[in-house]
Amino acid sequence: MNKKVMAILVPVVSVLIALAISTVIILLIGKNPIDAYGALIKGSFGSKQAIADTVIKTTPLILTGLAVGFGFRAGVFNIGAEGQMVMGALIAATFASNFGSLPPLLAIPLTILIAMSVGAGYAAIAGFLKAKTGAHEVVTTIMLNWIATYFASYMVTGPLKVGSGTPKSPEISDSCQLPVLMKVGAIEMSAGIIIAIIAAIFMYILLNKTTTGYEVKAVGFNPYAAEYGGISVGKNIVLAMAISGALAGLAGATELMGVHHRFLGELSGGKGFDGISIALIGQNNPIGIIFAAFLIGALRTGSNEMQFIGVPKHMVMIIQGIVIFLVAADRIVRTIMIRKRVEK
Amino acid sequence: MKKVLIVLLAVLFVVSAFSFKAIMVTDTGGLGDKSFNDGTWAGIQRAVKELGVEAKVIQSYEQADYISNLSKAAEEVQKEPDGGIVYAVGFMMTDALFQVAQQYPDVYFAGIDIAPPSEAVPPNVITFLFKEQESAFLVGYLAAATTRVGKVGFIGGIPIPPVERFRYGFETGVKVYNDLHGTNVTIIKGYTNHFSDPKKGKDLALSQFAEGVDIIFHASGACGNGVIEAAKEKMIALVGSEDLSKVIEYAFEKGGYFAMGVDVDQDYMAPGVVLASAMKGVDTASYMGVMWAYNGEWTPGVHTLGLAENGVRMSPMKYTKGLVSNRTLAELEYLVTMIKGGTLVVPDTEESLNSFRTPKIEFPF
Repeated sequence: MNKKVMAILVPVVSVLIALAISTVIILLIGKNPIDAYGALIKGSFGSKQAIADTVIKTTPLILTGLAVGFGFRAGVFNIGAEGQMVMGALIAATFASNFGSLPPLLAIPLTILIAMSVGAGYAAIAGFLKAKTGAHEVVTTIMLNWIATYFASYMVTGPLKVGSGTPKSPEISDSCQLPVLMKVGAIEMSAGIIIAIIAAIFMYILLNKTTTGYEVKAVGFNPYAAEYGGISVGKNIVLAMAISGALAGLAGATELMGVHHRFLGELSGGKGFDGISIALIGQNNPIGIIFAAFLIGALRTGSNEMQFIGVPKHMVMIIQGIVIFLVAADRIVRTIMIRKRVEK
Repeated sequence: MKKVLIVLLAVLFVVSAFSFKAIMVTDTGGLGDKSFNDGTWAGIQRAVKELGVEAKVIQSYEQADYISNLSKAAEEVQKEPDGGIVYAVGFMMTDALFQVAQQYPDVYFAGIDIAPPSEAVPPNVITFLFKEQESAFLVGYLAAATTRVGKVGFIGGIPIPPVERFRYGFETGVKVYNDLHGTNVTIIKGYTNHFSDPKKGKDLALSQFAEGVDIIFHASGACGNGVIEAAKEKMIALVGSEDLSKVIEYAFEKGGYFAMGVDVDQDYMAPGVVLASAMKGVDTASYMGVMWAYNGEWTPGVHTLGLAENGVRMSPMKYTKGLVSNRTLAELEYLVTMIKGGTLVVPDTEESLNSFRTPKIEFPF
């Protein structure tokens, strides 16, 4: 079987296997799997509200998935998407509450630019440390995550704090808010999804059609060969981290400008880490990542409906866990598929 | 046979004809937190048993779920012929609750630990707050009466208002004891800046023990599990056994290291080592909310529950009562009646704590 087909088949088969295993678990806890999956589908696509919810959840996941996926392609393991997302959103929120006098046409790109540059700069710290001192980016990005988390929590309980209740920053100006594509009750679906898809296309072009993309990939494949070929390893590591961080910062921007309209204490909600699993399921391919993010987004949205019929939310975490396990250990899936073919 | 069938059908009809639904939406902590999510659910379960309402729970995965889960719950309630009530649990859900409640004016909403962000509360919303300071006052007084070294500790989670109210009460309790008994018990304070990392609680507790305190009161959510573990470890090292009777015997003779629990009765988590717990009746609150909505006794607005309303109290000290003198127990009893009667007001802000003067208290014994 050719490589491209395999790249699509492995995740798809993994999802099917995961659903099969979950069926058994649902039976074991004494519920009807058909009802459960029915609720899952109804909860994620069954109504306008459900669809809006799914899209809202998918948007940041695409972007953090792209962030981590781009890093993987360039040979860096960016665990810091979480921190980059938080920092991007936090700093953008600080500026964006004062952009009231700017027209949206200027304010929106400016806010996005701030979030992306902050994300890029924050990730570049880890890239720089790796290039200069050899400090592994896994360690440094994790450390940077904590700094970002605590800094953000300090800011929203201290200097940026407004009102009582949930720790939060002031609302960003109306002109910085992304246009709403669909509104159902209290739920607003913004144009963030369009931004996410554009980002995926951008990443595809960057990786496959440009010199920069070629160099970054070359360093990822084999830094020694790349250096021998005249490509600066250090420069490209920093660049790869920066682009990855910019995408994570963009995820922060869409959450800020399209969903919450302010920085909340738990704005990221672990989506930076979800990016790792999504990049894995999507096989680091921009199009694959869109589908993977959509899958996880839909599962999570549907899980809330599933709770109504008594299946705990943890069921979708189980599904997600099995998918990731199988995709990561793709040998297992390949072996199963090849065996099947031989038997036939 | 036919009769039985008819009776069964009639019962079925009666049961199905009435359906009032209570749906609880947890915060990201979810069920199993041994604190307010579990407490609220316990209260709703009580309503299920006593009032025959139907109950469901939706657990939130992330903060972005709050609005959509509350909306979903409200829509589910709207489908019921007799309506129902939606619960938002935890102060992190404040904004989401009020946003969604506006969209569904015909659905009852209740918030636990939630203070309305503005003065105007929509008529379909009630929120419950607690006078944490009153139960903390009692454990503070008890701590001051029990310490053998004249030094007690306080460990808070993130300094949000409910945590701070626990601290104000604890400090006041110690102060009142000092003033009445001419002692000079001091307090060491610290925060974990976290609610869900027991390791942080344990580290901070061990360092406070090293600084010489022998009793630590925590108001730090799951971090407190670490505080209790630290006290237990230190105590077992002293006693040389985990056996309850040996621990109590040792503690009675020579004192030792103790923790004090919060929110629910945590005494069982380390029998003999957890001296008492400052309890907060989230279960009472959630039961009351369902009952009001169900009986049509709905009074919108903020409900603040203290000792007088049975909203907070000190744990009954199932294991440790023998360590405390009868006189102290009687004093505590008397102070409870004073607080209930309003003659002793425990401060609930930093300012009122600073300006607090112990009133003239004469025990009638």
